[in-house]
Amino acid sequence: MTRLVSFSFALVVVLLSAPLFAQTASQVEFFEKNIRPLFANNCQVCHNPQMKTGGLDLSTSEGFMHGGASGPVVDKTNPVESRLLKVTSYDERIKMPPTGKLSQEALDALRAWVEFGAPWPGARQAAEKRPEPATREFSEEERNFWAFQPMKEPELPRVGNEAWVQSPIDRFILSILEEEGLEPAPPADKATLLRRASYDLTGLPPTEQEIISFIEDDSEDAFDKVVDSLLASKRYGEKWGRHWLDVARYADSTGNDEDHRYPYAWRYRDYVIQAFNDDMPYDQFIREQIAGDLLPVNQPGQVNRRGTIATGFLALGPKAIAQQDKKKMLYDVYDEQLDVVSKAFLGLTITCARCHDHKFDPILTKDYYSLIGMFASTRSFKDPTTHVAKLLYTPLVPEEEYAAYTAHQDKIDDNKIAITNVVDEQLEGYSNSLSPKLADYMLAARKAKDGASVDDVAKTNGLDAKILGRWVEYLKPGAVPQPHLTEWRGASADDLEEIAQSYQQRYRERLDEWHARLAKWRASVARSLKAKNMPPPMKPRFVPGEDRFFHEVSLVKEGPFALDEEDREKVFSREARDKLAELKAQEKKLKETMPPEPDMACAVQEGETVDQKVFVRGDHGSPGVDAPKVFPVILEGHDQQPVATGSGRLELADWLTRRDHPLTARVMANRIWQGHFGQGIVRTPSNLGKMGERPTHPDLLDYLALRFIDSGWSIKQMHRTIMLSSTYRMSSTVSDKQNAADPQNRLLSHFQRRRLAVEEMRDGLLAIDGSIDLTMGGTLQTGFGTDRENSNKRLSMNPDEINRRLIYIPLRRANLAPLLNLFDFGDATTPLGKRPVTNVAPQALFLMNSEFVAARARNLASELLNDDAEDDPRRMKRAYLATLNRVPAPDEIDAGLSYVSRIQQRFDDTTADIDAWMSLCRVLMASNDFIYVD
Amino acid sequence: MEPKRPKIPSNPRVTSRRAMLRDAACGFGYLGLAGALADAGLLRAAADGMGARPLAPREPHFTPKAKQVIFLFMHGGPSSVDTFDPKERLIRDAGKPLPIKRPLAFDDQPPGPLMKPFWKFRQGGESGIPVSDLFPHMRSVVDDLTVIRSMVGEGVDHGAALLQTFTGSSTFTRPSMGSWAVYGLGTENQDLPGYITIKPALSHGGAKNWSSAFLPGAFQGTAIGHSGLKIEEFKDEPIEYLVHKSFSQEQQRYELDMLQNINRRHAELRKHDPELEARIQAFELAFRMQVKAPEAFEVERESDATKKLYGYDREVTKDFAWQCMLARRLAERGVRYIQCTHSYKWDQHSDLFRKHTQNAAEVDKPIAGLIKDLKSRGMLDDTLVIWAGEFGRTPVSQGGDGRDHNPYGYTIWMAGGGLKPGFVYGATDEIGYHAVEDRIHIHDFHATVLHLLGFDHEKLTYHYSGRDFRLTDVAGVVAKKIIA
Repeated sequence: MTRLVSFSFALVVVLLSAPLFAQTASQVEFFEKNIRPLFANNCQVCHNPQMKTGGLDLSTSEGFMHGGASGPVVDKTNPVESRLLKVTSYDERIKMPPTGKLSQEALDALRAWVEFGAPWPGARQAAEKRPEPATREFSEEERNFWAFQPMKEPELPRVGNEAWVQSPIDRFILSILEEEGLEPAPPADKATLLRRASYDLTGLPPTEQEIISFIEDDSEDAFDKVVDSLLASKRYGEKWGRHWLDVARYADSTGNDEDHRYPYAWRYRDYVIQAFNDDMPYDQFIREQIAGDLLPVNQPGQVNRRGTIATGFLALGPKAIAQQDKKKMLYDVYDEQLDVVSKAFLGLTITCARCHDHKFDPILTKDYYSLIGMFASTRSFKDPTTHVAKLLYTPLVPEEEYAAYTAHQDKIDDNKIAITNVVDEQLEGYSNSLSPKLADYMLAARKAKDGASVDDVAKTNGLDAKILGRWVEYLKPGAVPQPHLTEWRGASADDLEEIAQSYQQRYRERLDEWHARLAKWRASVARSLKAKNMPPPMKPRFVPGEDRFFHEVSLVKEGPFALDEEDREKVFSREARDKLAELKAQEKKLKETMPPEPDMACAVQEGETVDQKVFVRGDHGSPGVDAPKVFPVILEGHDQQPVATGSGRLELADWLTRRDHPLTARVMANRIWQGHFGQGIVRTPSNLGKMGERPTHPDLLDYLALRFIDSGWSIKQMHRTIMLSSTYRMSSTVSDKQNAADPQNRLLSHFQRRRLAVEEMRDGLLAIDGSIDLTMGGTLQTGFGTDRENSNKRLSMNPDEINRRLIYIPLRRANLAPLLNLFDFGDATTPLGKRPVTNVAPQALFLMNSEFVAARARNLASELLNDDAEDDPRRMKRAYLATLNRVPAPDEIDAGLSYVSRIQQRFDDTTADIDAWMSLCRVLMASNDFIYVD
Repeated sequence: MEPKRPKIPSNPRVTSRRAMLRDAACGFGYLGLAGALADAGLLRAAADGMGARPLAPREPHFTPKAKQVIFLFMHGGPSSVDTFDPKERLIRDAGKPLPIKRPLAFDDQPPGPLMKPFWKFRQGGESGIPVSDLFPHMRSVVDDLTVIRSMVGEGVDHGAALLQTFTGSSTFTRPSMGSWAVYGLGTENQDLPGYITIKPALSHGGAKNWSSAFLPGAFQGTAIGHSGLKIEEFKDEPIEYLVHKSFSQEQQRYELDMLQNINRRHAELRKHDPELEARIQAFELAFRMQVKAPEAFEVERESDATKKLYGYDREVTKDFAWQCMLARRLAERGVRYIQCTHSYKWDQHSDLFRKHTQNAAEVDKPIAGLIKDLKSRGMLDDTLVIWAGEFGRTPVSQGGDGRDHNPYGYTIWMAGGGLKPGFVYGATDEIGYHAVEDRIHIHDFHATVLHLLGFDHEKLTYHYSGRDFRLTDVAGVVAKKIIA
């Protein structure tokens, strides 16, 4: 929806006092600013020179003067009675615009304009002139907004309790706590700390062995070693890669309308996992995701394979590929790409400025279109113009190698066409030979229907019995009506002959027409094969509705004049059969020698350079002033050299990764902090703008961001810095005083208890019973495009039935797995900076009733019972260690054992032992103790 | 200037919901909700000690005409000019070219000529509203219907049209109408989900059409099967994870008691965390749900007379009869928003006569049965029934004997819920292509439905990502003339 800019009330007053009908400069300005865009955005969809709905054209002064079918729309003698005002008031039967009532501002403007005589600047050239978007001055408050200021090296605060400080981070936290008179929580016990660190870094629980050895390790750097080994684990990339995939709104299909697969999306997912595991410098990670295809490679002529895959970040968004307004489709895609870039890297909601300047942040519409130009100059589709737009797949091999592959594919296709041609010509001959007998068959079928045997009738009339049998079948009235047979069925005995002839006549004409179309197609195929580079035209398809009789008789498989596959031998000429055999042998050979398909990626490519204009009110049909490719004015000022060549993605990547960029490092440092504490220092991680929250510890944020850059943008180093602090190692216990002073724990007086994310819960359960499959990478999804509308294949695969880590299970955007919806996964469609945490009953049903949890509990129980060396108290201890990663207290062991023995009495079959222990294991898996990390 | 360091910066909203959570009798917690409800002027419920229970019943902005909604969705787009919108000119000028410039169509081929309706129209009931012979049963209840002949949407492809019909936006991920309804009103029965969609379509946006998007997950529609499944395939466990496969209820209760003991011990060691108690309560609620919910789905319990009324006794009508009977049972039990879907069958780009005939045979009787049943039980007064496709079809032919998509002027009907019965609203042009009188855009339709449920659509908002969102975006006008 478009919205009008507000206009100055004072201006209206001035205008109203102006002499009627005279056009002053201010009136022209008023018209251009308020009325012309209003007509353009709300009325001209229908009231344009082509459509002139209701006879009215509101795009020119002439059209406006002329009015509609019911006369002028403005009554100059009695302006208030003007039709224009009546229909827009929505008080009358006719309501305009039909898409919804205009805003009060717009109605006021319209009324004012009509009342002072509806002056329409006469000159034709005025129509070309578009209102300029204001490049307004920013207020001091806007310019001084914290997030736009350069990062500043903070002084390390002094604290009273020096002994607590293990890392500079602790100074920032403790100094404020001390100021507020709060004590930090005591350190967490070792088992708790290990569980916390394991889930934080790998998304999996520690093993029994890891717990025991950490508890027994008294060395000073015991925890340092734990952190290092967790960071070195391949599981780390699977956990932190998933955090990034949330931000990157990763999924394996287009969502929206048709939900076509992204068949190579998984390469981007694997890239992200590997980037985290390799501790790829974050600046490089950004550069590759925005412009990796353009980054230099070692060997000339080679493709930047990794970089190309990385641009999946831009390529894998939701797309409405069946949208028929193709320009809108494209600009929605560019908008989506800018949205993910600005939220992920800048922590800004730049796309709010698509239709008007950002309502809250100093981002101009022109800034928006300057950036949009970069994506408009980037290719995201193979062909955006087709009915359902075609997705772009990019080969990861050099051009010549790919050309060789497609050339071979073309040979197979050409051979297929040659086969079709032979078959078609034979079939055409067959139908031609039958068509003179159509009336005979119909008449004979009538006789057979009246009781005579098909074979006898066929013999007496010199017809083929099989064909006649099919005619009889075809002409029988079925459940569905066949209007095209009504005439035949209603014919009286006297007319039968004549009507049969008329059917035959029409059939013959249609057959000739159809054969002529096929011949024409064959000729053009031959021409295109000769011309080489031209793809052969699509084979024409007969539209059944054009002649159902013809279609059903000849072209449907069971049609009376259709030829069964097995009868071809009898009908086809010797020559044709030999030719077919030869072509099929050729096909077989071609398929055998087919080179393997080169690796492909869902990536973007450089497109045609677009000189983007501002779209007035976001309407792609209303181009305004030029928007050269520059960066937002609030950050870079007015004096910028626009990008001269190419899409500008490289320049964008360079700009984002500048060491002095005020947002990039802060945004990522904040995300990493949030990954450990549940909340960021800024609690709205993808919005550092005015409507976002302010940092709770601004100096700490700058400190972290600067260390991040100093370390060469090393994310793993950030983990170490954070995790080896006292702050991270605090317990989650809350004192009454802490709770009273700071109920939201914004000052971090204790560690914030958090619920496991769906991956941690599910993968954790699979790890506990040992059934997890830790295979990395690759794809579980096959095929291209989409599936039938009602097919089960439209569903995402069910994670309850697969033992791989959740990150490897493909996401069909339109139908995510119920488990993901249940446990706050998000929609995999909009960039997600922080998952919400809901607490609802259907989640409990999953833990109580699902086969998945039951299987985990059963496996664990049988493992416990199978170990002959164990007695029951030791089994209980192992159950606790496996699920809750701690040693149970004596009263817990007692309560557990008493439960097992009592519930055993309730199962009176021989498997009671396993049932009882399984029940206990499920209780532990469903408990708060499991699902929350202290 | 920014303060150098905010002194315990806090969000009063969150503090108040914490307090509320603590006080909540049932503690069925969804954090962050109370603040949003307060913003939408819906916090009366908080006074009842239920502030943080997302599904607790809430009072809307003003007295509602309808308490619940049953949406009968005809996926694919039934033809209006063949059903509820008779056009003399199509009969007169059949075979002539389209007299206007064709608006953006789905088909990329030139349009066929004007095609006359395949069925005869006859007046029904006392209102005399014409309905074609395709729907004789609906014609028999036409005095209860409010026929809207001037719907307008923007999507010319199914995906865009479905998404706009159900969420208001074909471009962005937005909460569905049912989610807004339950967000606003909560639901009457805590043992059942508040928003249920029966056999929904997986295509054309799939779950996005019943998703809560950025509204809390509790307002998501709960799908019962999907359009690709037969009823037998899911009716024993209509809701995911509802049924325990091996334990008796008694055994399960016993297990749950152990779980709650462990959870209580855990919570006692951890003060000041209302989430822990909320999760304990969520398990109690889940246990009640699984005991009580299955009964609602036992459609077989209906009397023979009722089954016959809906056509459950005949194979052709059985599926949709099951859906409609279930919808009534759920409505009876206080489910706020229910949708039935006649799967993707109405998309006749060709062969319209035959296929529409088959489709109508499947739904006509069950739908008329539902209207009669609701009426005889006195439920039609406060239940809003909506019958609609995602668009209508063109007056010109496509593929010889079919019609293309037409979102520019199509017919839907509504019934009950405080509307004028036996009433026709709006009109299309002479050929039935564009709505010309009392045009009602999908945003207006949404505004009207929310109005009937007691909401000012401009005030039912949710704050997300820095701004307030609503079902009708920045548009929407209530069609007051159809309200009784």
